[in-house]
Amino acid sequence: MTDRIIRVLLGKTTMECHDRGVRYLATKLRDAGMEVVFINFLEPREIIDVAVDEDVDVIGISSSVEGHIPVAREVMRRLRERAMEDVLVVFGGVIPERDIGPMKEMGVREVFGPGSSAEAFIGFLRANVRERHFAAE
Amino acid sequence: MSAVLEPQGKGAAEGAAAAPAEYPPQFNPEFLEATRRLEHEWRAKFDAVARKFGVDPAAYQRRTDSGLPVKPAYFPHDVANGRYDMLTAPGVYPFTRGLYPAQYQFMYWANQPVIGYGLPEDTRKRMDYLERQGMTGYFGNTFYNLVYDLVSHEGLDPDHPAAEGRVGQCGMAVYSVEDNARLFDGLALDRINVIHISYYEVLPVLAHYLAYARRRGVPWSKLGGNSMSWYYQSAYVGMTCFPPKGGMDLAVELVNFCTREMPRWNTVNIFGYGMEEAGATAVQEVAFSVAAGIDYARACVASGLAPDRFLSRFGFQISQSNDFFEEICKIRALRRLWARKCHALGARDPKSMHVRIHTHTAGSVLTAQQPLNNLIRTTLHAFGAALSGTQAMEVSSFDEALAIPTEHAHTMALRIQQIIQEESGITRVADPLGGSYYVEALTDQIEAAAERIFDAVEARGGYHKCHDFVRSSIEESAARWRDQVDAKERIVVGMNKYESAEVQDIEIFRVDPESERIAVERVRGLRARRDAKRWEAAMAALDAAAGRFAGGEIGVLMPAMIEAADADATTGELMGVLKKRVGWGSPY
Repeated sequence: MTDRIIRVLLGKTTMECHDRGVRYLATKLRDAGMEVVFINFLEPREIIDVAVDEDVDVIGISSSVEGHIPVAREVMRRLRERAMEDVLVVFGGVIPERDIGPMKEMGVREVFGPGSSAEAFIGFLRANVRERHFAAE
Repeated sequence: MSAVLEPQGKGAAEGAAAAPAEYPPQFNPEFLEATRRLEHEWRAKFDAVARKFGVDPAAYQRRTDSGLPVKPAYFPHDVANGRYDMLTAPGVYPFTRGLYPAQYQFMYWANQPVIGYGLPEDTRKRMDYLERQGMTGYFGNTFYNLVYDLVSHEGLDPDHPAAEGRVGQCGMAVYSVEDNARLFDGLALDRINVIHISYYEVLPVLAHYLAYARRRGVPWSKLGGNSMSWYYQSAYVGMTCFPPKGGMDLAVELVNFCTREMPRWNTVNIFGYGMEEAGATAVQEVAFSVAAGIDYARACVASGLAPDRFLSRFGFQISQSNDFFEEICKIRALRRLWARKCHALGARDPKSMHVRIHTHTAGSVLTAQQPLNNLIRTTLHAFGAALSGTQAMEVSSFDEALAIPTEHAHTMALRIQQIIQEESGITRVADPLGGSYYVEALTDQIEAAAERIFDAVEARGGYHKCHDFVRSSIEESAARWRDQVDAKERIVVGMNKYESAEVQDIEIFRVDPESERIAVERVRGLRARRDAKRWEAAMAALDAAAGRFAGGEIGVLMPAMIEAADADATTGELMGVLKKRVGWGSPY
């Protein structure tokens, strides 16, 4: 559990028009005192580039139209490559039940499906985000 | 109009100039005096009931989902100032009561379920299946409402790295003239109607279809269908191939081409559905739809087309969501506001002022929890759309919040339309709700509220100049909706009330993972097989034409694109040129 300012990267692919949920979440996280960066990405490597530049604690990816497995695989691979496995990775949107197990095995910590509340999401981030090795400010 | 309601905007007054005829007052003064007395007596009774329930009658105020205040009951005097020249008859300007005099009495609205997944052959199988289930368009012809996959929407080919896991998902994997052949061979192109649901790849997709038709020997002038031209969507969803002005210019190019070559083709589709799905209220959907449409229409006029030459080929895709009466009145208000604005733009042919509506029942209010409940929700949506006088309908499948529809879910969605059409009896009378005090008062109210937002857009220089205003307005509404759901001020059955631990075990559709591999193989095979010299020449010509287009020239781009498509250029290649010349972000 942490009270410090949590830095969150939220993203969805530029191909997808379903961004109502993730944009709502962005405002809710901001209202909860977090710093939020929101991007539309084409390829998963862009997520990691921004995550490094912005020094985020959390990567949240929204996906409602498939394609989430390759994105999860690539994001986790690149995080490992850069020894950034302590960044908390979560997914949300329309993710079929059958894919949640395999995604968690890759290192995705949680998947938030339709109807999940922003409060539950914020609580999960506070409870699971990494401890900073150094002061954020 | 009662004082409780929002004041009537200048909307109604302005329209008077456009009205073809004058009508005497709807009710005589003694009658209205009597109904006001009656309301007074009724109100005393209502207040007593409210107090019994612990509610202070003076503070009592219900609102629609858009936030418009409504009275607890309506009376003749509530519509006495609503002027009959704004209501008129079905099929008469300003079309409040519907576009056509007979509405559904000799022909139902068209069934237009959205279809598209996997390889073109997979999509064709579902097309043929639904056609056998009675999916019917106008005059017995079949309408195919086909959605391309996200890879195509983004203007990529299936072997692009960003395409992995997305090929044939949420749309069909169609990227070339050859894929069009896999999709349409054996169908009489001049007797079907094909709606190409595309986002930014509008021109490439149509170019493929036209090159295919030419190979089949079918003249373009005989083709019926739609291009969506949804470029203005970048205001409210994060999809951004082209800047607002560049997108609008591409739409104008298409309108000019089709006006010349394809008189039956619908060139621009105003996507109110996407607005409401992104969170817009019914009032905002009306306002921004009309604003986007008028902005595009103005750009077409500026390109040298008279309004009556192109406006009749504009169509609308409109959401039908939960608030039953507000959603019906929204449609009636939209028809009237659009007619008035088109008239003001110089349109005189009634068809140029028609809001031809393809209803898409709302997907955003369907739930993953207790998915069978969605059958009941979508039935109510479809019923409302039918009462409002829609022209075509897609009913969302009950598994909408989970995946693309199974054959079973698709069939059920079609049956909802057929049961309303053939069993409910509501098609017997045109505009069955016309004259309802509540419906007419709420229609006036929505029109006035929408026109105020329309004016705000116009004051900012028109829709394409104020995407940020559109976006933030819609986002505020989306946040309000979600906050209300979380606070249980807005009930979602099965999600925030009447939850159940029991899981409804329904089949979840899955696209064959092999289709991605096959689509990649096909596009690579096509590139290897095609006449390289011809392709190179056609692509160079397209690039030159796109350069001239970017410099402001209309009429050169589309013909060059069809030639490149016919030289077997793929969606990614055609879009690459457009992104380079007109767009932002990286070309293919």
